[in-house]
Amino acid sequence: MIRVVVVDDHPALRAGLHTVIDAEPGIVFAGEGDGNEETLWPLLERARPDLVLLDYHLPHGDGFQLCYRIKHRMTPPQVLVYSAYASPALALPAALARADGLVDKGLGARDLFDAIRRVHGGERLLPAVSRVHLEEAGARLRGSDQALVAMLLDGATEADAAAALDDEPQVVQRQVQRILGALRLDVPAASA
Amino acid sequence: MGGLLEATAARRSVSEDARWLLPFAVARLAATAIAIVLVSPDPAPEDLPMLAYGVTSTGLLVGGGGLRASRAVWSLDFAAGLLFVGLSGDWRSPYYLLWLTSLVLPAAALSLRRASLLAAAAPLAFLAVAFLGGPDPGRLEVRSTETLAIHLSLPFLLTLAIAYAASTVRELQRERADRERMAVQAERRRIAWELHDSAKQRLHAAHLLVSSLQGRLPDSVAATVTRAVVELESAASDMDTSLAELHSPLEGRPLDEALRARAAELGAGTSVAVSVTGRAPRLAPLIAAHVYRIAAEALTNALRHADARTVAITLEPREDQLVVGVRDDGQGMPGTVRAGATGMLAMHSRAASIGAALDVAPSDPPPGTTVRLVVPLATPQEEPA
Repeated sequence: MIRVVVVDDHPALRAGLHTVIDAEPGIVFAGEGDGNEETLWPLLERARPDLVLLDYHLPHGDGFQLCYRIKHRMTPPQVLVYSAYASPALALPAALARADGLVDKGLGARDLFDAIRRVHGGERLLPAVSRVHLEEAGARLRGSDQALVAMLLDGATEADAAAALDDEPQVVQRQVQRILGALRLDVPAASA
Repeated sequence: MGGLLEATAARRSVSEDARWLLPFAVARLAATAIAIVLVSPDPAPEDLPMLAYGVTSTGLLVGGGGLRASRAVWSLDFAAGLLFVGLSGDWRSPYYLLWLTSLVLPAAALSLRRASLLAAAAPLAFLAVAFLGGPDPGRLEVRSTETLAIHLSLPFLLTLAIAYAASTVRELQRERADRERMAVQAERRRIAWELHDSAKQRLHAAHLLVSSLQGRLPDSVAATVTRAVVELESAASDMDTSLAELHSPLEGRPLDEALRARAAELGAGTSVAVSVTGRAPRLAPLIAAHVYRIAAEALTNALRHADARTVAITLEPREDQLVVGVRDDGQGMPGTVRAGATGMLAMHSRAASIGAALDVAPSDPPPGTTVRLVVPLATPQEEPA
C-alpha cells in the first residue's frame, strides 16, 4: 500500500487524481491540499503519507521550496514533483530541493502510477543536470551559492557542506531556499 | 544611418499624417489669391508664371505623397518663393506670403531640433534676398523697421509654432500606440494565464481519468478509449502551442518584420548601420520565437561589444532550411570567452532546443564576427495532419 497525498492548487486536477488513485490497486489516496502551508502541515501529520505528489507551480510560492521544507520533516515522505512543464531546466532545482522525482502532468495514468511505484521503491526519477543548464543557473547565482550548489550536487550532505563552509546548518538551509528562489522559472513561458 | 532613419521617419509621419495638408493648401491658395489682388493694378509679364506656380504647386504637393516628403522638393519650393520675392523688385513683395507657406510642410515633418534650425535660417535667407534684391540692389531699403521686423519674425514664429504642434501630436500618437500595445500584451498575459491555470489543468485531469481506463476494458471499447486518450494528448499539445504563441515576442508578426523592428529600435541610438535583408518563410510559433531571440541576442552582442560600424542580418530561406546570418565588421571575438557570457550560452541552448545549428566564427573576409544559424524546416510530411 502506497499512501499518497496530492498537493495542487487546482480542484479539478485534485479530483481527477483522487478518482484514478482510488481505482488503482496498491495505491491509496490519503488526502489533498491546495498548497497552503497552514493546512498542509496538519494534513501531513494526520495522513502520514508515503509519498506526496506536489505541483511545481503553486500560487502561494514555489513547489521546490515547499518540497525542500517537506523533506526536512522528522520522517519525510517521498516527494514526486508534478509539473505541467517538466523540462530539463527543472533538474537542478529539483535535485537541490531533494525531490525524489519529477514527472510531467501530460503523462497518462499508467505512467504516473509507474513513477509513483518506482519512487516508492527507492528510485530517483530526476533528469540528469546538463552542463548548459548548470552554467545558465551559475550565471544567476553568487559565487558562494555556486560553491554550495556544487557541493550538494556532488553528493555532500547539508551537514558536510555546513562544516566545509564553517556555517551553521540552519544558515545553509536558508541559503538553499534562497537559491531555489533565485532559480525559480516563470511558467508558462515560450522560452522555458 | 541616423539621418536615413530620420528621413524614413519623416516620410512616414507625413504620408501617414495628412492633418497638415488642409491648412497648407488653404494657406498657399490664400497667399496666391492675395498676390493676385496685389499685382492686378499693375501686372508685369513675369507675374503670370509666378501666380501659376502658386496654384500648380499646391495641387502637386497635395496630390503627391512622395513629393511633399522629399527634402529636395522642400528646398526647391523654398528657393522658388525667395526667387519670386527677389524678382518682384521689393522685399515687401506680393509673393512674401507664398514663400512663407513653403515652410509649413518641412516644419510639420522635421524633428523639433531640425525645425528650430530652419526657423532660424529662414529669416536670414529672407534678409539676404532683401539685401541683394530690390528695390536698390546691394542696399537694404528700410522705410519702416516695424515692417522689416514683422517680415523677419513671421517665418521664425510660424515654423516654430508648427514644429512644436507637430512634435506634440507625434508624441501623443506614440504614447497612445504604446498604451494600446501594452493593453494588448496585458490581455494576452491574462488569457495565457487562464488557459494555463484552468483549462490546461482540467485537460490534464480528463487525460488522467480516461487514460486510467486503459488496459481494464473489454476489447470492444478499448480502441475508443485509446482514441480519446490520443485526442486529449493532442489537445494538450495544441494548448502548449497556443500558450507559446501568446507569449511569443513576435506578437503575431512575421519573423522578418519583427527583426526589422528590433534592428531599427536597437540601431536608433547608435552610429551603427543595421540592415535586415531577406524574408522568412512561415515558421511554427515556437521556432520563430527562438530564432528571433537568437538573432536579437547576436545583434545586441554586436552592438554592445564588437565596436562595429555595420551589422547585417540576412534571412535566406532554402528548400528545407532557413539560414539566418548576423554579421558585424567589429573587433571580433575575444580569444577567451568572457566569464559569465550567458548570452552566448543561452543562444546555443535555444538553438539546440529547436534542432538548429549555431556557428559563431570570424567574418570572411575579416574583420568582425559572423553568427550563422541554420534552422531545419519541417517538411510537409512531418507536420501533424
